[in-house]
Amino acid sequence: PAAAAAAAAEGKPAPPAPGPMIDPNIIANLHNYIIINPQLAIVGERLQLKRLVPMAVDRAIVEIISPVVDRSVTIACMTTQELVLKDHALEPDADALRKSAHLMVTGLAQSLALVTAKEPLRIAVANNLRALLSNQLDANTLEQVVAMLVADNLDLCCQVIEKAAGERAQREIDERLQGAYAARVRAKAAGQPFADTALLGGRFPGALPEALRPRPGQLTPQQQRVYEDFARIPRTAAAAQQSAGQPRPAGGLGQGEGGEAGVPPAGVPPGAGLPGPGPAGPGGEVDQQAAAAAASAAGLAPPQPQPDLRSRFIS
Amino acid sequence: MEALVLDLTVPAAKETALLELSKKRESFPELAPYLWHSFGTMAALLQEIVSIYPMLQPPSLTAHASNRVCNALALLQCVASHPETRSLFLQAHIPLFLYPFLNTISKTRPFEYLRLTSLGVIGALVKVDDTEVINFLLSTEIIPLCLRTMETGSELSKTVATFIVQKILLDGVGLSYICATAERFFAVGAVLSSMVAGLAEQPSVRLLKHIIRCYLRLSDNPRAREALRQCLPDLLRNPQFTACLKDDLTTRRWLAQLLVNVGHLADAAALATDVVGPTPPVQTPA
Repeated sequence: PAAAAAAAAEGKPAPPAPGPMIDPNIIANLHNYIIINPQLAIVGERLQLKRLVPMAVDRAIVEIISPVVDRSVTIACMTTQELVLKDHALEPDADALRKSAHLMVTGLAQSLALVTAKEPLRIAVANNLRALLSNQLDANTLEQVVAMLVADNLDLCCQVIEKAAGERAQREIDERLQGAYAARVRAKAAGQPFADTALLGGRFPGALPEALRPRPGQLTPQQQRVYEDFARIPRTAAAAQQSAGQPRPAGGLGQGEGGEAGVPPAGVPPGAGLPGPGPAGPGGEVDQQAAAAAASAAGLAPPQPQPDLRSRFIS
Repeated sequence: MEALVLDLTVPAAKETALLELSKKRESFPELAPYLWHSFGTMAALLQEIVSIYPMLQPPSLTAHASNRVCNALALLQCVASHPETRSLFLQAHIPLFLYPFLNTISKTRPFEYLRLTSLGVIGALVKVDDTEVINFLLSTEIIPLCLRTMETGSELSKTVATFIVQKILLDGVGLSYICATAERFFAVGAVLSSMVAGLAEQPSVRLLKHIIRCYLRLSDNPRAREALRQCLPDLLRNPQFTACLKDDLTTRRWLAQLLVNVGHLADAAALATDVVGPTPPVQTPA
């Protein structure tokens, strides 16, 4: 509200929310979005799935949403605040700053929320469905029905959490940047060029080569594009695959991404007493399935997740 | 180099620029401030990081995508290491964007490489013995994430994760933090002990060295010293097991000091004759 008031006081409407298209009333309309596979039509009638599935989804969201959104929004805001102010230290237009900040904070908060919440949501929806359906189905059928419902509705849960994270993040970043918006408005009203002197006073950015040094005035289209790309962060594995691009063919007869194979992990700190530059990265020949097969042949059991470990350290 | 840094913000040129810059990063001492202070470069690197989140669970990270993001991580490591950008890097909380990578459990090479490279960024931060870094890390869930890698990672990942825990322990704040509750101490102790047991099957001198340094440092805390009298693995007193240290005087003396501190004087004497008394315990502020 404070941020909205500030925006109104400056006589500027807040820009529309970027990000994926999500029904603004998604939580109220949850039952409209629930997917019940036609294969379950007959059994679904008897089980009252149309009533119970939205209940299970809603409960799962309530269980997960608040810590995930809190954490994602806080981190995204801290990161956005530092980077956006640095990049816009010579940007005179409060709206341009706000636009970049909203794009970045939304993209980061939604990405963090999705990666953090997806597995807990999967487990919570399944548990809630089991609890609601267990006395109506035999164990085997129950698991099949639950698996199908979870697979079909997990993305809906994720979208609700992403949407909440994105909206909260925009409100919080506006509160954090109120002073920065106001300073730009003041400079404009006084007819003065804007410069965030606190961020420009050190050896850098002054010591940057000409091509990299910030220039007074508005962003170029290429610079704007960097921030606009935060609205294009992939949210599915397939989209991520595409965004990472195809392996570039190596020269000559080389195959795959041989050219990239030799980059050592950034990782190994010399102080760790490790020899040399560390092992070569995975080469172009790395085949995921082969590696998995090798691991399982070597008798490597899948590690057990340890949910309790975290709680011992995080209060 | 300016051209390559600029290319990081041009989608079509980004991948090549990531590769070239990460290969050449050692030869440009000012690369870190260039990356930090130029427009949009850090934003573009963060996009690389979050763009592969959807491939983490269920695991579908390809070698290609792993290489690409690891090149971006290599540049972030550069920023983490440089004295003029380290604080800014922490203030922007950028390490937290790597934690989802450390939380993965897939054993495939793309994931091992991703975890190792991410640990390397944290390793670069702790290498400089800066309390600001330790305070930052302790405000996050880095210790449970390191402990998980120490339990389940490859030998190299285990070594880097143990190195990070060691550096946290060597800071007074870190030692008090880990010894503040019995639960925390035993969580760390249990993982160290299971790694020692693992080394009996698959020896690694470099990993053993960091484990011993962690134990020795824990023994500086009075309560932890008492607890270690009970729970230090017997293998550390087994001359056959520790024979691999015969050429490593430093680690042998650490082990001897550890054994003296927890009361195994005879075993200590067999390792190094010049360690005669326990180190004075570190008094932690109440």
